[in-house]
Order: sequence, then C-alpha cells, then structure tokens
Amino acid sequence: MITSTTSSLIASCSPQQQAKITTGQIMLWVIAACLPAIFLSTYFFGIGVMLNIVLASVFALSFEAVALKLRNKNLRTNLLDNSALVTAVLLGIAIPPGSEWWLILSGVFFAVVIAKHAFGGLGQNLFNPAMCGYAMLLLAFPLDMTSWHIPVAQQADEPFSPLSLASMQTSIQFLLPAFATDSVSNTLNLADGLSMATPLIEQKMAGKSAIFAIFNSAGSWLDLLRRESGAGWELVNIGFMVGGLFLIYKKIISWHIPLSIIGSIVLLSLLFYSENSVNTYGTTYLHLFGSATMIGAFFIATDPVSAATTPIGKLLYGVIIGCCIYSIRVWGSYLDSIAFAVLFGNFCTPLIDHYCAPTIYGHARKRIWKPAN
Amino acid sequence: MKHSFFPATSSSKKSYYFTGGIKPPANKKRSLRSVIMDTPIPEFLYLSLKQYSGPDAIPVVCVGDKVLKGQLLANAEGELGVPIHASTSGTIREITNRIIPDEFGHEAGSICIEADGQDTWITRQPITDFKSLGPELLREKIQLAGICGLGGAGFPTGKKFSSNKPIDWLIINGAECEPYITCDQALIRENPETIVSGARILQRICRALHCVIVIEQDKQDAIDALGTAIHDCEIELISVPAKYPSGSERQLIQMLTNQEVPSGKLPQDIGVLTANAGTASAVHNAVINNEPLISRITTVCGDALKTPKNFRALIGTPVSFLLELCGIDYTSLSRLIVGGSLRGFTLKNLDAPIINTTNCLIAGSLREFPPAPAELACIRCGSCTDACPAGLMPQLLYDQIRSNESAKAKQYGLNDCIECGACAYVCPSHIPLVQYYRAAKSDLAAQKLRQRLSAKWQQRFEVRQTRIRLNEKRKKGSRRRSLSRPEGMDVTDTSLENFSRENAKQQIADAVARVKARKNRTPTNTQVKTKNPGEGKP
Repeated sequence: MITSTTSSLIASCSPQQQAKITTGQIMLWVIAACLPAIFLSTYFFGIGVMLNIVLASVFALSFEAVALKLRNKNLRTNLLDNSALVTAVLLGIAIPPGSEWWLILSGVFFAVVIAKHAFGGLGQNLFNPAMCGYAMLLLAFPLDMTSWHIPVAQQADEPFSPLSLASMQTSIQFLLPAFATDSVSNTLNLADGLSMATPLIEQKMAGKSAIFAIFNSAGSWLDLLRRESGAGWELVNIGFMVGGLFLIYKKIISWHIPLSIIGSIVLLSLLFYSENSVNTYGTTYLHLFGSATMIGAFFIATDPVSAATTPIGKLLYGVIIGCCIYSIRVWGSYLDSIAFAVLFGNFCTPLIDHYCAPTIYGHARKRIWKPAN
Repeated sequence: MKHSFFPATSSSKKSYYFTGGIKPPANKKRSLRSVIMDTPIPEFLYLSLKQYSGPDAIPVVCVGDKVLKGQLLANAEGELGVPIHASTSGTIREITNRIIPDEFGHEAGSICIEADGQDTWITRQPITDFKSLGPELLREKIQLAGICGLGGAGFPTGKKFSSNKPIDWLIINGAECEPYITCDQALIRENPETIVSGARILQRICRALHCVIVIEQDKQDAIDALGTAIHDCEIELISVPAKYPSGSERQLIQMLTNQEVPSGKLPQDIGVLTANAGTASAVHNAVINNEPLISRITTVCGDALKTPKNFRALIGTPVSFLLELCGIDYTSLSRLIVGGSLRGFTLKNLDAPIINTTNCLIAGSLREFPPAPAELACIRCGSCTDACPAGLMPQLLYDQIRSNESAKAKQYGLNDCIECGACAYVCPSHIPLVQYYRAAKSDLAAQKLRQRLSAKWQQRFEVRQTRIRLNEKRKKGSRRRSLSRPEGMDVTDTSLENFSRENAKQQIADAVARVKARKNRTPTNTQVKTKNPGEGKP
C-alpha cells in the first residue's frame, strides 16, 4: 500500500493561479505616468511643484498609517497598496505651488482621513479623496487656492530661472513662511506682488494658444522651453495626456472615461464656439490644453473606486463629467471645474452602475431596467 | 481534402466571440512533448463507487472474486448513476471506504482490485458498423459502458442523450481552454478518427442536424489531425479564439449559435447538446470495440515533475503512482491540483485514485504556484466585470456577500456564476472571489432548505390546528345534537365525520349483538381454533 499523504501540501480554493498585477503596482503606474507632467511643471514653475507633492506624500502616508492603526488594519499590507500616495500626488499637483504647508496639511487630512477612511477606507469612499480635499480647500481658502507663488528674477533684466538655487530657497520659504526672509514675506502679504494668478486665469484672459503663437511667429522649437514663452501650461497638459495614454496602453485605465470626457468637451466647445465670443467661451484647444482637462480626464476621473465600472457606465460617467467641466468653466464662477465635475460624477456613480449593469448570461435583456427593490 | 457544407468553417472569416474571458498563460507545451503513454498496471487499483456527484454504484462482486478486465463490478444506481467496470483483471481484495479525489477530502465506497498482471479481457463483441444499430440501442450501449462526461462534470452521457427534445446542434468540445490541461489535445492529435467516429455515433443517437467539433485556434496540430480525419461534410471543424473559458459549455454555445442558454435551463432546451472530445472517443470505444470506460487520458504536469506527459490511465490508478512515473520531486511539490489551474481543486492525499473526471493533475512547485497574497480592499477597478463571461458584476456581488446580503446577490445573478475563476484571476487585490460566491451559494441553498422545511412544518401545524378546531366544534355540535356540518370542515375527512358518540354506541351495540349471535351458533364447540383472532370477525 502506498502511504504518501503529504500534509505540507497547500489546500486552496480555485482559481489556483492569479494574474501578476497588484493594486500597489497599479497605483505606482499611475504615479509614474504623472511624472512627465510633474517634471515639466517643475521646469516651468519651479521647485514648489515638487515640494507640494513631497510634502503631501509625507502627510498622506502619516495620516494613512494613523488611520489604519485606529481601524485595526494591518499597516504593512494596507500601506503598500499605495493609494494614499496617489491621492497625495494628485492633490499636490492640484494645490498651487508656493502654497503654505498648512494648506497642504489640511487638504491631505480631509482627503485621506475624512473622505477616505471615515467612509470605510479604500474602496468604500464614494468620492474621489483628492478632489474632496481640493474642493474643501477651494471653498475654505479661495484666495490661497487661486494664486501661485512663483519665484521670479530679482532684477528685471535677469532671465527667469525657477530652478536656480535662489529660486529654490524662495520656494521653500513660500512653503514654510516661518523661515522666510523679509523680502519673501513681503511678497506673500502682497497679493499681486511676486505671486501670479494661476495659469488658467491667464489663459482664460488670453484666449490664445502660446504654442501656436510660437509656431506662427516662426520661432524655433526650443522657444517652447523658454519660460517666458508662456507655453509651459500647455506642455504640462500634453505631459498629462502622454502619461494618460501610457496608462491606457498598459491597461491600467480603460479608454472609456478619458475619451468620453474629452469628447464631450470637444463637442460642447465646438457647439458654442464663435469668433466673437472666444473670450467667454474659449477655443476647443484651450479647453483641452489650457486648463486642467487632461489631468482630470486621465488621472482624476479614472479613479476606479469612485468611478462607474461597466463600459457603458464609464462612457456615461465621462459624458456627465465632461459636460459639467464645460458648463462650470464657461457659465460658472469657478476658474476650473475638474474637482466639482468629478465629485458630481461620483454622486451619479451608484445610479449609473445600477442602470448600466451588463446583461447576465441567460437572462432577458430587459433585466437592466428592473427597478431597485 | 476537407469539404464543408456550412458556411462557418475554420477557414472562414467568421469570428466567434463571447463577452468577457481572460488569456492566462497556457502552460501546455511541456506535457505535449511526448505521445500519450499507456501506464503500466499498478499493483492495486481502487475503483470508487462514486465517480461524480451522482448516486454511488452498487457492487455486484464480493471480496475474493476473480474479475476480468472490463467485467461489471457495480451497477448504476438510478438514472443518474454510472456502472463501474474492472479496469484490469485480478482479485477483489476489499470493498471499503476510501479517499476519493474531491476538494473536501471525502471518502466513498471503493473496490480494491489486486492486479494479476495478465490484463485479461472479458469476451468482447466488436462491431464494424454502428449504423446497424438503432439510436436507442446505441444509447443503451453507452449507458451500460458507464460513459460519462470526461471533460470534468462527469454527467452520464447516456442520460444526457436520452432527451426527446429536437436537437439542432451537437457540439463536440475539444476547446480545452484551461491552462495546463492537454489530454483532449493529445487525444485529438493521436486518435482523431475515434473522436470523429464517436461524434457520428452521438449524432445518430440525438439525431442532431449539425455536428461540429470545436478546437481552440492555438492548437494547430490538433486542428490539422482532425481535418484529415473528417472525410465528409457531415461533421464540421470549427476553431474558436483561444480565450478562457471558451470551453465552458454555455460560452461555447453562445459563440457557435449566437444563442444563450436561458438561466436555469439546459442546453437541450434550446436544441443543443455538447459532449467532450474525450467522451466522444470513449463512446467510439464502447460501441465499436465494446469496451466499457475503464481508462481515460490524464495530463500529469507541473514544475515538480521531471517529465510531464499524458497518460492513458486506468480508472482507479492511485495519483501517486502516476506522479512517480513522471519522476516527481516530493521536496519541491507544494500544491497538487486536480483539474486545470483555474477551476481545479487541491488534493492533500496522494493515495486518491484517478476517477472518470480526473482530466489533469498538476504537481506544482512553490515558485509556480505561490501562496495567495494577502487580500486587499476592492478598488472597484472593474477588471472582474470585464473578465466575467456570465455578464455579472463580481465586485458588486462581493460587496453584497460581504454585507451578508446573499439574497440581493442572488438578484444580481449569483446563481448564474459558473465559477470559472476569471474574476479572481484578474483581481489586483487578490480577493478570492470564487470562494465568496461558493460560500454565498451554499448559504442560499441552506436558506432554501430551511425555508422548505419551515414551510412544511408550518403546513403540518396548520393542519393540526384545523383538526383540533374541528374536533372541538364537533364536540360542541354533538352536545347540541346538531347534525349540520360545521363550517370549514374538511369534507374528505370521513373518519372524523363518522366519529360521534351516537355512532360509537351503535357500533358497540352491534358488536355485542354479533358476539351473542356467535355464542348462540356454537354454544358447546370448543374445538374450533382460530389461527388469527381477527378471522372470526365479519
């Protein structure tokens, strides 16, 4: 008789095999796809962009750890899902560079602790945490959230170099006003001094594409990289678009949401476009690349937790967000509208998911419209 | 060479599609390097009386009996049972409970044969042309040979083909979409003619209008072999995209016929019957060679083996015997899987025998099948929705099951889940979704049983209450000497109706009168003996 019972064998439920991708890796890919735009942004607007992100990440991880501890969750496995890091990076990008540390702290606190963990942690939050944090900051501190503090040249004839040592120091002083020198703290107090309005305001006023302007004036390609050219914001948006397309290529996100957001914005902006009212309605190009549309469409609205899940649902979700973005931007009083549009989309998600559920195999198609009990 | 009557052929551009599905690494190459090997006869064979979820077979042999190869050992119990035949000649050593290969480590009655090494067949009557036999006779032959679905479900083929419904399509399933399993591919590659012949026999039985054999596109050698084996236009060869679970019955039907099997119905309800390629080959053996199902092709593979291959294994061969033939390294064996890597279950006891449905054994190493990582929170990424071939939203079901709302999960199609494991395969948070669904399904089943039982007791209680009420009413009625029937009384209940004091008095008086009459008839005859005390009564 054979006696080969092996108790060391693993017993497990099917399937015995799993695909290699993990949640933590998905989140890391999202961050990686943000990097081109972050680098471009840093190049054009100074080290403050990076500082925002780094500080937000540190805060987010600390809050996440405390919240997990309070909720009696395993720290190691749950911190490694990197979801707090993604929230921090997106919020860090969204907060104007040169903001003070407490602004970042309160935004991250609201995003991670209130919007995520208070709702039951990752996967249970109804709303996109980063956008919750951003919206809260925008409502509570409208002035701080709409002005960028960017180091500029000391003398008027000096070239503008946000990455110089002095600029870096200034950026750090913007972040931590306690260590600020007099000149910097003066500019902080002066709303219109060295600080500048967000690029979006400039774009909204200008109504023209800086990149097109450079090409039309027969300038060289390298002019794009000159900070004075004003093409920075457009290039950053292109950076986000490239990163987003990379995510679609890697199948981290699906094409449905970005396509429907961008598609509906393009349609609406074409519909309302007229030569005479460019200053109010803007051009299609401006709506796509002169605003935060790209980061919104590829990185923020695609947050899986708060987005719709079925293909048709995703398209519908994207259309809702796209229409909101355009409407708020053109007819609303807020500068940009990604946060509110995405939050509104999040409100609709459960309803969309209910009505856009796929047809179950072997059931009549009318099941979709079966009312909830 | 290959003629085709129908427009949809493997060469045509028609695309076969079903929603969802995944493309895991196939891992089939290693076991396909060598040809199918006939296993040597092990010393002891353990034939389980339970070959699948149907009722156990009933032994017709005793311990000590000498049996020949192919001799009937146990009769099928009921319509859903399969008979068991001796897979080699030898002596019955014992009939006891033994471990069977199932995921729970159950035991079932098993007949142990000590092989004599001669492998002597009982007398067989091979035939050359199955067309000389009628469909019903052929079906009976299949049933008596113990043929059942060799693809994994193990449903008795004879029973499956006994349906009177008109059949349009007979689908011979050689898709074999699951990773690691190569038994059908190897069989098609080496014996395509047996499958074609078996398909013809099955077509004759069910009188199907079309008969198709389906293979996945990535199995070119099998497609070529079958292409040369099909000589006429009666059977059609179709290759479908290599996507898991294309070999699942319902998905296959959806791909080929553009029809869905309605929930809770069987394929024959929409005029389709499917049979596994291995089953078709076994049908051929049963009808043409008059051989019962005593062996099957089993893939033995995995990283813990030196030479993975396909075996023509006798039913009842211990698993460890096959593993050792492949040069198993017990130190690196960490997980033994019966079936493929997606639907298969783990086996802890290597003494378990091969049964009819054991299509694959994977001796996995730790590197190949690492332990499942910790379960993380669901991020609602929707990968599972995209992967689900049944059109479910697995993340929604998971949510509902976690909040103990199995009934709601049922509304969202929990019972339509085919447990293919595609959702759990793609889940980036490593949530064992199939495990949740199974738990919830058995929860629902238990709930249903409880409901049925409580309904039954409720009914009985109500009957009792009515009876008590009626009795009381009657008592009152008789006191009032009322002859009117109380309302709500059960009319059929005559025994109660007749029961009343008046009647009883009358009956007693009658009995007294009868006794008196008998006494008068035989006043002195004491010799009369009555065997039965009741005999004297009128």
